[in-house]
Amino acid sequence: MVKVISGFFAGLVVFGLLVYSYAGSLMFREIPSPFGVEETVARIQQNIQNAGNGWSLSGLRNAAKPIEMAGGNVLPVLMIEACSTRYSGPILKEDSVRFLSNLMPCKISVYKKNDGKTYIGMMNSEFVGWLFGSMVGETMSHVAADQAKFVQFDASKPAPAMIKGMPGAATSGSGAGAAGGC
Amino acid sequence: MLFRSRIVLPLAASFMLATMSAFASPPKSEEVAAVPVKTAPILESISKPQSTSTADHSMFKELQKNFKTGPEVTAACLICHTEAAKQVQHTKHWTWESKDAKTGQVRGKKNIINNYCTSPISNEKDCMACHAGYGWKDSTFDFSVEKNVDCLVCHDKTGTYRKLPGFAGHPVYERIEFPPKSGKFVEAVDLKKAAQSIGMPTRTNCGSCHFFGAGGNGAKHGDLDSSMQHPGKYLDVHMNEKGLNFSCTECHATKSHEVSGSRYNTSAAMTGPAHIRGKADASPAACQSCHGDKPHPEKYALLNQHTEKLACQTCHIPEYARDEVGTEASWDWSKATTMGPDGKPFARKDSAGRRAFDSKKGDWVWDSYVIPEYRWFNGESTYKVLGDKIDPNKTVQINEVGGSANDPASRIWPTKVHRGKQPYDKVNNYLTVQHTAGEDETALWHNYDWQKAIGAGMKAAGLPYSGEYGFISTEMTWPITHMVAPKEDALSCAQCHSKKGRLKDVEGVYMPARDSSKLLDIAGWTLVLLSLFGVLIHGGLRIYTSKKKG
Repeated sequence: MVKVISGFFAGLVVFGLLVYSYAGSLMFREIPSPFGVEETVARIQQNIQNAGNGWSLSGLRNAAKPIEMAGGNVLPVLMIEACSTRYSGPILKEDSVRFLSNLMPCKISVYKKNDGKTYIGMMNSEFVGWLFGSMVGETMSHVAADQAKFVQFDASKPAPAMIKGMPGAATSGSGAGAAGGC
Repeated sequence: MLFRSRIVLPLAASFMLATMSAFASPPKSEEVAAVPVKTAPILESISKPQSTSTADHSMFKELQKNFKTGPEVTAACLICHTEAAKQVQHTKHWTWESKDAKTGQVRGKKNIINNYCTSPISNEKDCMACHAGYGWKDSTFDFSVEKNVDCLVCHDKTGTYRKLPGFAGHPVYERIEFPPKSGKFVEAVDLKKAAQSIGMPTRTNCGSCHFFGAGGNGAKHGDLDSSMQHPGKYLDVHMNEKGLNFSCTECHATKSHEVSGSRYNTSAAMTGPAHIRGKADASPAACQSCHGDKPHPEKYALLNQHTEKLACQTCHIPEYARDEVGTEASWDWSKATTMGPDGKPFARKDSAGRRAFDSKKGDWVWDSYVIPEYRWFNGESTYKVLGDKIDPNKTVQINEVGGSANDPASRIWPTKVHRGKQPYDKVNNYLTVQHTAGEDETALWHNYDWQKAIGAGMKAAGLPYSGEYGFISTEMTWPITHMVAPKEDALSCAQCHSKKGRLKDVEGVYMPARDSSKLLDIAGWTLVLLSLFGVLIHGGLRIYTSKKKG
């Protein structure tokens, strides 16, 4: 009996260690880009605009800029924000999962690392979605399918221009100054 | 009554005065000093100087003229500054030549075919927009004429003095649409105002050429672009506008118009303590001039040891082109003359809005926040000059950076390597000079005919041309020395001391955590395994013997 119980606990410990080791990579993905930072951003933005399913760009943030303003240096990090009302609507309507709004809009970050190469980082929407029940899981599986298309590039097409503005930004009311989208 | 009034009263008054004097306390020294003296208004009454210079040039009658041309301004300057033009005429800014003291090789823009715009020969009218002179439009230019020295390009402080391509180094005398048919206009310079404004060179003066080398903002150097005009602390601690706010000449100290700190004569491994620049200083632009060769506090003695192998720039400029301007990584001339679907020349920009293609010039690739390429450098570079033979089967090194791990004068330096593809003579095996700029029939940017352009360029350069051309890959190496980051952003130990670190390709030096000795590794792991084995045997025996006893 002792052997069974100790084996059970040993199994739990091993499982816990495995979760601890791999949870990060299960929740987030990183893929290398064949292009530079700006071109990667521009191509993702173009893919989002052409994706349909209610997707639109919400903004582009430069996470390195505030650090530069404070006198420091980090390699470039640009965050593309995009949202689909088709997918955000059901989640925002449901009180029990409305707190997930803090994950909106969807973000895809594009950054350079010390090897000089450009990488794309994004959330594994499908995996994270299933952690919050079937409705969210179902919705996020569609998001994940679209996200996969956002990072498929056709190198034979010329590089589009990067969109720097914040489309849909509200100019008055409680949302003044905030970007639109979701 | 008379007695009382004439004798008694004066006597009584005298007595009272004497008594009061005797009992009065002596005056304090402060009270003496407090005697009102008119001191305060002296500075206020003197007019303040208009500048830190000892002369207000707007007061000089020689400069109160409506100058028509640049040379007229120079002639006025030379009335007082009698030696200035002669001094300038002995510098690279005037001759575009630089002689290697060791080899005697004559380098400089005039003699090197680089892998950006290639060569100024036959393109002088355009290229001389960055010459410190007036009128260099072809090989007939007389380098001895003093009034053709351009004083204003370095000393104008109005910020309105602009020299455009196509005018052989003259500024804009009449309002002009530039670039042609762009709808943008450049105003004529007010030469009188410019002449009266003059002062020591500012970042605007130096930057008007050095920020825009190779025909684009940041294109050439990688560590110099327009962001250095008003840099923040993150970009350059020395030039930080809200900090030290250095001008270029703060480091590039100048003597008789000779500006120190040239890539042709780089001090790659200065040693010795810090000292005041300008005092018998061989290289005032080197970091060591101010910081010494042991720049870190004693508690970081290990860092100071690094200066024996590393240039300061290696750690303190972790990336170059650290801004959105970026820099050109490559220029492919072989794509020039490619036309659009309608058969007409066209141009395209990259995602960040920088030039990416132009039928006149070919393809460009840009990058920003660039990780440098590191190599040993002893300050000496060998250049390919006009007519030097090349091996068409290899990438041509336009400049070969000297130095090695065994050379005590060498340090590991960060560099920008610019890759190019440019024309060469397939029979004579040398890089070609091409006539690109201009509106004549042989200019590449006019008729898009490589054959004619190379023919005209080679003729102007005085080099035989076989009539057969091809395109060859080339590289130019540029030591990086500007855009010094705050000390907190210097490279960390692990960024170099690791298998895939910044210095993974630098040979000739042992680096802990990067390098390993197979023999030593085998010996170490054998010891570890033997120890483990010993522990297991020892433990096993003890368990075995205790069970046996029990």
